[in-house]
Amino acid sequence: MTIDYSAAAPPQQRQTMPTSEPIAPPTPVPAPAVATAKPAVRAEIKDLRFYYKNYEALKGINLVLRDKRVTAFIGPSGCGKSTLLRVLNRIYELYPDQRATGEVLVEGRNILDPRQDLNLLRAKIGMVFQKPTPFPMSIYDNVAFGIRLYQKLRARELDERVEEALKRSALWGEVKDKLRQSGLSLSGGQQQRLCIARAIAVKPEILLLDEPASALDPISTQRIEELIAELKSDYCIVIVTHNMQQAARSSDYTAFMYLGSLVEFDETEAIFTHPREKRTEDYITGRFG
Amino acid sequence: MAIATTTAQLDRQRVWDVLFHNVTRIFAVGVLILLGGVMVALGIGAWPAFSAFGPSFFVSMAWNPVTDQYGALPAIFGTLVTSLIAMVIGVPLALGVAVFLTELCPAFLRRPIGTMIELLAAIPSIIYGIWGLFVLAPFLQLTVQPFLIDTLGNIPLIGILFQGPPLGLGMLTAGFILAMMVLPFITAVTRDVFLTVPAVLRESAYGIGATTSEVIRQIVVPYTRTGIIGGVMLGLGRALGETMAVTFVIGNAHEIHASLLAPGTTISATLANEFTDAVTPLYVSSLFALGFILFIITFIVLAAAKIMLLRLQQRAGT
Repeated sequence: MTIDYSAAAPPQQRQTMPTSEPIAPPTPVPAPAVATAKPAVRAEIKDLRFYYKNYEALKGINLVLRDKRVTAFIGPSGCGKSTLLRVLNRIYELYPDQRATGEVLVEGRNILDPRQDLNLLRAKIGMVFQKPTPFPMSIYDNVAFGIRLYQKLRARELDERVEEALKRSALWGEVKDKLRQSGLSLSGGQQQRLCIARAIAVKPEILLLDEPASALDPISTQRIEELIAELKSDYCIVIVTHNMQQAARSSDYTAFMYLGSLVEFDETEAIFTHPREKRTEDYITGRFG
Repeated sequence: MAIATTTAQLDRQRVWDVLFHNVTRIFAVGVLILLGGVMVALGIGAWPAFSAFGPSFFVSMAWNPVTDQYGALPAIFGTLVTSLIAMVIGVPLALGVAVFLTELCPAFLRRPIGTMIELLAAIPSIIYGIWGLFVLAPFLQLTVQPFLIDTLGNIPLIGILFQGPPLGLGMLTAGFILAMMVLPFITAVTRDVFLTVPAVLRESAYGIGATTSEVIRQIVVPYTRTGIIGGVMLGLGRALGETMAVTFVIGNAHEIHASLLAPGTTISATLANEFTDAVTPLYVSSLFALGFILFIITFIVLAAAKIMLLRLQQRAGT
């Protein structure tokens, strides 16, 4: 990790981080039968409630996000899946009248704590939105944007970091000869991969993807999905999607949400082959939603 | 209304449509004709002066009704310099207000503050003039100007801009008043263009860990650059043509001084002051010529502003 959190996190907490799995409280959601060799818990959401003014949009969510795994949130529109994602980096705080209660533990610390430094939090939890959002600057500067905010690197080092991020996001080959051109000059699919490159350039711990492919054509969608599979080896990835096939193809765990509640959370295969809840089955078989 | 079934009904509707179409077109074309007419009238009025003095009218410093010699340079100089001062002071202020209103201001204060800034535009310019003459000018003369002369006036190179006696009236005072007058226009436009920045773009920048000031400086301002420039040009267009307030405080001297504290004049101030005194045809024509020059300058500035705002809208539309 390149960002120094030591000022914000007491050292003893950081040390407990790798071993937090055995002593973590039992997960409140029904755990899959096979419990062997599961990757470490990266984040744990406990009794999360979310309010738009007085409207309760999330009604007590409990789930865990595992490292080096893809967790998909599915559910009909308005079920709260995007809201849940927006809690994880507290981007909702840009707007008045939105608030969250409960706990989201990352490295043993509750990120909903008002003392949590928002900019550091957002640097370690990257987010990519439904519509590509290249910044009004060159391709190179787009990727370097987040790095420059937190690190003073020499030109050589910065070049390397930008190249690395663009390679990881499978965009390097297409843009390496036009790094100085505007990010807006790229196609939609390329812009979305640029946004992913920008997010991973700061080396986040968790990557939040809010319907990252829903505004893209099928070929670009496929590339994004390949990219997710590729990035999984390094990150804890959370993806919100309307596309059931996409959830089935690219995720390891799936959370089905309905009307602000978590209906079912399990390994993706289990959810899609034998869901325990009737509502889950109805949704994934297309009977509603 | 029932559906028109007979040909007579259809015909009647068509006639009304055509009539309506043409009437509104006449209104619209009328505006164009008016604009062209003003330009032609100015040109005709200015012609004797242009033909008498030739191109030297633009660079001559003479302004002598006794010998009937006229030159536009002091007025052009004063117009440009006072507007420049207004921009240097007014633009950062307006941008700051717009940033505060769109990004930082608590929602319940947004409307009152925004409205109050807009009401600055509702103050008649003559009021600005009176206030400038009786309140601002003495204040500047007693406090700000001596301070500027003692500090900035001693610095090499730029010191020359702040030397001479503190008269109170002069180009700096006119610039201050103009800055206040253009503030609401630039603020309103920049606030509106700031609001065109898509929420997801802002969220993306915050989502990567940028602070509010980083988001504004690196995302919002670059994204809206053409719009901001358009707003600045609108303000500039207004500052260039502003007459009454400037006439009160600029000192009305056909002179060119390096010092901003010295009195000067602008094109519009000259016109306002001297039309009633203009006795010779050449004098009148020279004033027409000044007006023509002002018209051309503001036309170019406003056209550029419109083009820039249009470009921003096109981009926002895609």
